Amino acid sequence: MAKVVIGAWDDRVVDNRDKRFFEIEEYPELGDFREFDPGNPIKAFLGGRGFFAFDRNVSLLCAIRDYLKRAAEESCGKCTPCRAGTRILVEKLEQLCETGYKERSIREIRELAEHMQSSSLCGLGQSAAVPLLKLLDAFPEIVEEELSNGCLHSEQPSQSYVTAPCIEECPSKVDVPRYIDYIKDGQFTHSVGVVLQKYPMAATCGRVCVRFCEMACRRTQVDDPVGIKVLKRFVADQQKYATDHWFDRNLIDQPKADDLKVAVIGAGPSGISAAYHLLLKGYRVEVFEAMTEPGGMAAVGIPEYRLPKEEILRKEVAIIEDLGGKIHYNQRMGTHFSLDDLIERGFQSVFLAVGAHQGKSMRVPGEEDAVQGYISGVKFLLFINHYYINLGLDMDLGKKMVVVGGGNVAMDCVRSALRMGVEEVHVVYRRSRNEMPADKEEIEAAEKEGVIFHFLSHPTRVISEDGKVTGIELQKMELASPDQSGRARVIPVAESEHTLATDFIVPAIGQKVDHSFIARDQGLEFNEWGMIKADEQDLSTTRRGVFAGGDAVTGPATLIEAMAQGERGAESIDDYLTHGRTQFRPERRFQKLLKGMRKLQTEEVEQPIRHLYRVQVDELDPETRKRKFEEVEKPITVDAAYQEANRCMRCYRVYSVVTEK
Amino acid sequence: MKATDTRNATINGRSIDFARNDTILEAARAAGQFIPTLCELADIHHTPGTCRMCIVEVQRPGQDKPQLLTSCDTPLEPGMVIHTRTQAVREHQRLQMELLLADHNQDCASCVRHGDCELQDTAQFVGLQTARFAHPEYFAGRCVDRTSVSIQRDMTKCIRCRRCLAVCRDVQGTDVLVFANKGVHAEIGVRDSIALKDSDCISCGQCTLVCPVGALAEKDDIEQAIDTLYDDDLFTVVQIAPATRIALGEEFNMGFGANVEGKLITALQQLGADVVLDTNFTADLVIMEEGNELLQRLKNGGTTPMFTSCSPGWVNWLEKNHPELIPNLSTVKSPQQCFGAVAKTYLAEKMNVDPKRMRVISIMPCTAKKEEAARPEFLTGGRPDVDVVLTTRECARLLKREGIWLPDLETGSYDNEWMGQYSGAAEIFGTTGGVTEAAIRTLHFAVTGDELQGIDFTPVRGYESMREAEVTLGEMGTVKVGVAHGLAAARTMIDRVLSGDADYQFIEFMGCPGGCMGGGGQPRIKKNYQTFWHERQKAIYRIDSDAKIRQSHNNPCITMIYDEFLGEPLGHKSHELLHTTYRDRKVEVKHDMKTIWDEIRS
Repeated sequence: MAKVVIGAWDDRVVDNRDKRFFEIEEYPELGDFREFDPGNPIKAFLGGRGFFAFDRNVSLLCAIRDYLKRAAEESCGKCTPCRAGTRILVEKLEQLCETGYKERSIREIRELAEHMQSSSLCGLGQSAAVPLLKLLDAFPEIVEEELSNGCLHSEQPSQSYVTAPCIEECPSKVDVPRYIDYIKDGQFTHSVGVVLQKYPMAATCGRVCVRFCEMACRRTQVDDPVGIKVLKRFVADQQKYATDHWFDRNLIDQPKADDLKVAVIGAGPSGISAAYHLLLKGYRVEVFEAMTEPGGMAAVGIPEYRLPKEEILRKEVAIIEDLGGKIHYNQRMGTHFSLDDLIERGFQSVFLAVGAHQGKSMRVPGEEDAVQGYISGVKFLLFINHYYINLGLDMDLGKKMVVVGGGNVAMDCVRSALRMGVEEVHVVYRRSRNEMPADKEEIEAAEKEGVIFHFLSHPTRVISEDGKVTGIELQKMELASPDQSGRARVIPVAESEHTLATDFIVPAIGQKVDHSFIARDQGLEFNEWGMIKADEQDLSTTRRGVFAGGDAVTGPATLIEAMAQGERGAESIDDYLTHGRTQFRPERRFQKLLKGMRKLQTEEVEQPIRHLYRVQVDELDPETRKRKFEEVEKPITVDAAYQEANRCMRCYRVYSVVTEK
Repeated sequence: MKATDTRNATINGRSIDFARNDTILEAARAAGQFIPTLCELADIHHTPGTCRMCIVEVQRPGQDKPQLLTSCDTPLEPGMVIHTRTQAVREHQRLQMELLLADHNQDCASCVRHGDCELQDTAQFVGLQTARFAHPEYFAGRCVDRTSVSIQRDMTKCIRCRRCLAVCRDVQGTDVLVFANKGVHAEIGVRDSIALKDSDCISCGQCTLVCPVGALAEKDDIEQAIDTLYDDDLFTVVQIAPATRIALGEEFNMGFGANVEGKLITALQQLGADVVLDTNFTADLVIMEEGNELLQRLKNGGTTPMFTSCSPGWVNWLEKNHPELIPNLSTVKSPQQCFGAVAKTYLAEKMNVDPKRMRVISIMPCTAKKEEAARPEFLTGGRPDVDVVLTTRECARLLKREGIWLPDLETGSYDNEWMGQYSGAAEIFGTTGGVTEAAIRTLHFAVTGDELQGIDFTPVRGYESMREAEVTLGEMGTVKVGVAHGLAAARTMIDRVLSGDADYQFIEFMGCPGGCMGGGGQPRIKKNYQTFWHERQKAIYRIDSDAKIRQSHNNPCITMIYDEFLGEPLGHKSHELLHTTYRDRKVEVKHDMKTIWDEIRS
């Protein structure tokens, strides 16, 4: 919803000044631009490709001046047109406002602006003067009029936001170009510092993240995406003392009153992230964890060969204790205490991050009879990661195993099974390879290690003898036209049933929330998929003061999504305990605005760029690694990190809105 | 290159062939088309694209209008039509230069790069006529760091070409410099924001060789030298290091590889030096001590491989990075420090001068020598053994300040019966491999009683960053020696030593690439790095091959000093005057999240 009075974006100029407001048609590619926050209309919007004014009563030059000021603040200072140009432009505009319109000065300003656009090193500098140029080109009379009115004398309420495609795609909104810049610059401490602003598990994320950022990376238009994940691991590993020495209570600027206590249920990625941000905000935080170790799914779901627990995960979780937080282990909600108990114990707010740890069954005949050789993917991983590796318990897995499913859990199961000594490991997946939701790198790694894939195969029966699994009946499938959501449909091939002999079947086809943590009378509601009902924006549940996040709310998702929810939960709890309700966050509003106008944002790389190979990560040889749990991916060298960082094109753009108040 | 890899484009109407990933600048240069550059440094493949001076106009096939693109980092595409000299290009280059000057401290007359500045050159190339923007407030807060006795940093002059960063990181592997801050506050900083003197900087000065402006330079000690030379109450002794005489002439348009030893002696005498002598004499002395130290270590099962200790940049690096290997370092002082020690004892005694009145000035190819001279280990009674250290560049500036034009001078010679002679072996200290070769010449004689056949020991000569050779020393059998120059190579060599992969008994390390001839205090040549090594090195070997005495042990002044003063190598007096100790100087910086976050947010 946006009625543009005047605007210029790319090559399109809009001029509705001769129309009355109700006559103006909505601008189709813009989303909802009516209000910034409730009761505060957006009067103009500026971006790196132009501007839109939604109100006649707005000073565009003033908006442009403020926009340039923000660009000057964000300028990395490496190239001159952006570093000096942004500032000089601001000064020139202000001077011109003093002296009134002058043809010569306008020429000089245009010359500078064009220079910045054509010869800055990165997109930030190239785009910083674009709104100004668009205004000068399309509406010179407005410039003249505004200058004669002394437009720059008064301040105009405005907000600005600086982002890049990789940041916007990241659930946690990690400032990716910034931490890569710090690597380019040689400041590894600050690089990891940028990541640690968002969550404590930097080295963990640098190992297991699914990399939404890399999918959005504009470098893909040139060659391959920047190795954003591997660079994060690099700086986190480089600064390994961060986890030992950097964090203490001195970091907390304003400790809150002692009686403001928050309980976090679950020491998984979401709970730890929430606890971290709450502690940094000054709250007293206690974490209750059902297991005897921290990390949640990161600990029991992610295999050791991808994430060493002792060296990495536990050290990063320990930051919570360095910040003064308490973690109580072996405290399962629903068994050892209830939600009511927590309130009674003086916790003013609770963050529920209990995860989704119950495996889904295949719902095929024979499942009930298979007592031995049949467990869900999550249980299987829990057994290996916790009972086998931590406690040394053994389990008979047989010689041949079938894992059902095509996601990351399935890949973790098959690769772990090999390491447990299972001789022959099969994957059964109902769609084709292209539809597999698992990380491509994980699929390739499993293939290299000798896992046998059966695509377009669907289990129809579990076969067992005396309760012991002996085989699985499979049916062939074929791809059909995609369904409404765009996902490929599959239909069974008639009379294609066949049997695959196996000693063990692991269905890894999804997880759900185990509801045993809460009784019905505790005021918590679940949605139709069994997840905790929580507000999408602030994560508040149906019970006052209780917030929830992570897999328990989203269903099985990723580490980075869970950590993002933890941070959001902490913000909401802070708002709740400070103001009694959730506060407006300008950056979130900007994120929504930008999402709504995605079509206007997509940018082609317009300059020829030298091809640079993406960093190669050394791995243990598949033949040796597949029988042990040692970490497969080796660290990269400092030189390789510098080279990889230099591939980043730094796609920052400045956006701003002029508002009523 | 496969034929199919060949592509075609045009530059200023000339057709050019190129390979994938070739840049416009590379192709233009190959085609003889000049494009002004500033930050780029081809010798180290440095194209950071920050100065934006090398813009050209490019018409890409299929596009409706031409683009302005930087030629140094833009790859050619088939069918590109490039113009380097259109009016738009020239106007943008001029504007770019104006913007560069906007936040550059234009105090040119007092600048160390005055008359030798690449920024000024580029301004001339683009035909700059006025500089409309001057904003001293932009650079007012930038760092001026004069804490180091070797190197000074004035970031008000920095143009962010990042050449120093590249050299410190990639060539030397020391990686002390960082790019700090944002916007007009951006500058080259020191890792962890500490003062240069407290940092991991090893004072090699390679960064000063590539800085296009006056942002990085040797600390200027010319005033102190003048004070000393013109003080009638003082007895001034000047020593000239081996690599300086073959490079100083470059500052006086005398070409590359000219040996100006004789003229420099005359110049220094004119300036009032009481005695002018050669560091080569003490280089010979070092060979006697170091050679015997190695033999002793080999015989007594001492720590090996023994590392040379002549290069202070290297010694700094070892003390700061691998203090656990200090036992491997030869305890012999460097030739500069041996000179100071014997001048103020032996020479003072022989010439009947009160050592308290004696001052030693060194002319060195090296910035780290300034720091070396200031080490507490090298103070006697509170006074340094070497009082003033001038780099080759400062020496040239001194002469020019004093109105001396070197080519005009007569050729002088050393005239001192006690320390006035040196061997060819000493002169080759000035190049990588030289110390090793000099040591082998003397070791061979010391062990076998015979001179090394053919005198030269060429297997250790060359440019490869790491080299090795074997030599048979009579009854002692085969000794394996290694050579590494530049600290990136030194690091690799040390890694090999630590992993047990380097089975050498002796390793020569030089902090600077090329050894002293490529030292951080040597003349800098605009837009070039290491380009004229070959000429300098040839000149050094020529001095050696022309020398009457070719081995340190055959230097009659060396025989005399042992006979009349020191006694024997490694003797009591030697230990007192010529040997030293080292310290663990590992830099530990304690980080805390609060500071880091505050800096990130600022």
